Amino acid sequence: MDIKRISIYICSGCEIGNSIDIDTLKDISEKEFQITYFKQHPNLCSKNGIELIKNDLNETSANAIIIAACSPRQNTKTFSFDDVIVERLNFREQVVWPHEANDEDTQMLAEDILRMGIAKVNSIIKPIPFIINDFCADVLVVGGGITGITSAIEAAKTGYKVFLIEKENELGGYSAKLHKQIPFRYPYIKIEEPLVFEKIKEIENHPKIKVFKSTEIKEIGGQPGEFSVKLNTNGNKNSLKAGAIVMATGWKLYDASKLSVFGYGNFNNVVTNLEMESLAKKGKILKPSDGEEVKSALFIQCAGSRDQEHLPYCSNYCCGTALKQIKYLREANIDSNAFIVYKDIRTQGHYENFYKEIQNDNRVFFTKGEVKSIAENEEKLLITIDNSLLNEEIQLEVDLVVLALGMTPANSAELNLNYRMGKGLPSLKYDFPDSHFICFPYETRRTGIYAAGSLRSPMDITASIEDACGATMKAIQCIEATKRGESVHPRSGDRSYPELYLERCTDCKRCTEECPFGAYDETEKGTPLPNPSRCRRCGICLGACPERIINFSDFSINSVSSMIKAVNIPDEFEEKPRILVFVCENDAYPAFDMAGFKRLNYSSFVRIIPVRCIGSVNKVWISDALSQGFDGILMIGCKPGDDYQCHFIHGSELNETRGENISETLEKMMLEPERLKTEFLEINEYNKIPEIINNYVETIEDIGPNPFKEM
Amino acid sequence: MEIVDIIKPDIDFIEKLSKDSGAPLKQCMQCGTCSVVCKLSPEDNPFPRKEMIWAGWGLKEKLLGDPDIWLCHQCGDCTTYCPRGVKPGDVFSSLRFMSYLHYSKPKFLAAFLSKIQNLPFIILIPTIIILGIIYFVTGLEIPPGEIIYSKFFPHKQLNISFSILVLLTIFGMMFSIRNFLKDLKKNMPPKKIKNTVLKSFFEAFKEILSHRKFNKCDNNNYRYSAHLMVFYGFITLLFVTFFAIISVIFFQYPLTFFNPIKIAGNLAAVSLLIGLSTMIFKRLTNIELSGNSTYFDWIFLISLYLLVITGVLVEIARFDSWKFAYHIYFVHLVLVWVVIVYLPYTKFGHMIYRFTALTYCKFIGRE
Repeated sequence: MDIKRISIYICSGCEIGNSIDIDTLKDISEKEFQITYFKQHPNLCSKNGIELIKNDLNETSANAIIIAACSPRQNTKTFSFDDVIVERLNFREQVVWPHEANDEDTQMLAEDILRMGIAKVNSIIKPIPFIINDFCADVLVVGGGITGITSAIEAAKTGYKVFLIEKENELGGYSAKLHKQIPFRYPYIKIEEPLVFEKIKEIENHPKIKVFKSTEIKEIGGQPGEFSVKLNTNGNKNSLKAGAIVMATGWKLYDASKLSVFGYGNFNNVVTNLEMESLAKKGKILKPSDGEEVKSALFIQCAGSRDQEHLPYCSNYCCGTALKQIKYLREANIDSNAFIVYKDIRTQGHYENFYKEIQNDNRVFFTKGEVKSIAENEEKLLITIDNSLLNEEIQLEVDLVVLALGMTPANSAELNLNYRMGKGLPSLKYDFPDSHFICFPYETRRTGIYAAGSLRSPMDITASIEDACGATMKAIQCIEATKRGESVHPRSGDRSYPELYLERCTDCKRCTEECPFGAYDETEKGTPLPNPSRCRRCGICLGACPERIINFSDFSINSVSSMIKAVNIPDEFEEKPRILVFVCENDAYPAFDMAGFKRLNYSSFVRIIPVRCIGSVNKVWISDALSQGFDGILMIGCKPGDDYQCHFIHGSELNETRGENISETLEKMMLEPERLKTEFLEINEYNKIPEIINNYVETIEDIGPNPFKEM
Repeated sequence: MEIVDIIKPDIDFIEKLSKDSGAPLKQCMQCGTCSVVCKLSPEDNPFPRKEMIWAGWGLKEKLLGDPDIWLCHQCGDCTTYCPRGVKPGDVFSSLRFMSYLHYSKPKFLAAFLSKIQNLPFIILIPTIIILGIIYFVTGLEIPPGEIIYSKFFPHKQLNISFSILVLLTIFGMMFSIRNFLKDLKKNMPPKKIKNTVLKSFFEAFKEILSHRKFNKCDNNNYRYSAHLMVFYGFITLLFVTFFAIISVIFFQYPLTFFNPIKIAGNLAAVSLLIGLSTMIFKRLTNIELSGNSTYFDWIFLISLYLLVITGVLVEIARFDSWKFAYHIYFVHLVLVWVVIVYLPYTKFGHMIYRFTALTYCKFIGRE
């Protein structure tokens, strides 16, 4: 490890100077760390302050600077300097704002933070990015429906070369099978010619797009920036390279025969909404049974949707589609009647105009209700509807019944990833690809592969087009970030990546299995094979590794251990217990900043160490902290579960299970299990912080001091 | 299991109702706001939400025989709060007009009266008939000297001829009510019987006298006082007229100015005038609050208004010996015909239909 020449800058603005004794801090850096370069400035983020640092960097040989001022989340751009390690000490939001000014404990906190900062800087190196030699910046789009086509066009317009793979022998997917399309422009009342044909024309003559029809993916390997893709076109094998992948394989119609009440299959005149499109294409709408013209039709909405036994979700497209198909019928035969029975009409946004337009027709009849039975009665269908809004059970006699069937996602295993963790995209619910729903909807759990359109979530054409643009943007971001050796969301710009000291690896496979993003493949023996550009840099593997061989250059077992060991633990417990708090950088850390910003007061006995994910906490840090003399260890992460908020999918879940194992170890060591605790905090729950911290400090005070103190 | 009729929407009815009410009734999305804001709607099967979907589906039979359209007192809250601007209040108002046409016997008369283009005939018919009667009795001469109306049209003949007309009207009304009641029972069969017929009758009567439900509409509460004044003015004048007929037979007529009956009659006329003036004024100035005013509303209000004005003028003319006293008297008689004889076929019919529906609701305990 190279020698660090550290300069320390402390800002006395924003109440920092009035609240702590800066001279003592200077003494500590000189006496304890022999750092003599210690400067104080009343306003470090000012032009003058930055000039000071820049001049020093030019004139001195410092290769690391420590800035003790506001939170690293503030003035990030202002305080970034090339070529040197920059460590920001959060004196404002986490020392002077939430704690009493000129208090002994606040001062001790500031001193410890300085010690931890110096220790960290001494134990890290500036990351050198992982650069792929034979980098490929081309985009692979899987699926030639409206989403895939849009994605290909958008990516090509931006200047990227695109490969578009379509399983069928024609482009367009379902959107090319439609008779007309739901209104997509002002005033949103007229049904339109399907948009897809124009786009197909555009794509077929585009110099930057290469289309593979009737083609399936045999295998995808590699990582973002160098995916190797093997194709099979009608038996002809082909292969190509891609930088990122947009996955737009779309949807399948829910199987109508599972819905016994509607008699699909038994009655010829009960059709799916997709079949209705082909009926409408023929001009006059004719009954499938005898070819007579349809004079009345019933549209059954939510056929199997929002139903716990079938599809529990709303597919978004069916209400608009039914309204459109009502228009088909009413335009084909002016004397026809259209009935529609729904659970709720969901026409969001501008589609409300279309709903109103259809409602205006005197021959269209809407009611909420549940279809109880369908029977055939001399070429007519007799439908009994219960719980209708007409205040009773009603019966309708119609020529045709159209079922609004929901969308189910296509099987993402068609990707044929040769990853250690499976062929497809992991899903959370209803087989749609899992992603952090709130923050990163397009991300999947396979870095560089972005799901779009109705594969990602049920949606109609207009939404799919928008979705395709979004996913394409993400794919381009990924290509560009990977080219620079930087991470994608949520740690975008991070240049560190996991480095494994494989000589000590025991092939326990915990890293390969626990990585939420399938970044590790493995050898036959089980030794991990890292793919750095698949990695999101969460550090969950670092937390998992029992041999502690996985480290990042600026976040390692050693760096955090050194920070823990740098804290000065007072001998007398009664007044000064010490609590180590591992705080997730994604939500909990900003929440602590907000608590400071709001001047919420909490105990100054805590020593906060930010971690990339609460799942990146390694067991060894717990034992380090306990042997160092910490009385309690608190870990604060994002909410786990089905509606998880963890930015790395299951980091907090893993932390919980690991915590249980550690608690058992603690008991064996005759230590109270309460000395280790995990809390979950949402980013907006900053107001809960004083309660969480103070309650925990109280618990620890009740238990008494850590018996390993001063041993 | 009860046998459910297959629904057959009546498209013509939807078109007519939309046109008459001026309400975009197909735009109803069944949110139920109307029923929530309505202060008169019962908890069980509230109106007007269900009526609005029946209207949109063209279920004429259900609507015209629906007691609930008569429980509505047209405060307009539903129309004010409807998020789709569907105007349930106006739809209800039109439904009530349709009911007059639907149930009144003879039907052709109702259809004839409902059309604005027949207005000249509507006035001409009573004019000619009354002229004929007078010609037949007195030779249609303006009597000279002091104004004594019986010289122009002797009370005996007047009372007999008009009583016959009123009886005919009542006869027609009874048929209408019979049909109406039949439909009420069909559309809202009594699940339980709460009151006896007699008790229901008195309960309904009490409610009408007190205007209790009217008073609940606080969106435009002028209607409570205006209707109260018109109502009591009209009732009082009915009694006064009845007493006048008795007086002609048994006592002296005309009554002296300070006769208590005469005073009551004059007060009633004032009350009617104030009430009607308010109604007309509000309809003209505040369309949003009073709802859509149709020909049906106006013909009724204006003929009643003119009836009261000519009545007062007839009285003044007599005391003041006006030259045109007999002419005014004649106009007044024509208006009496228009109001009384045409009663079951015009908006005036709400008296009988509402009373019948209220009694029925009291009978089945629908509050």
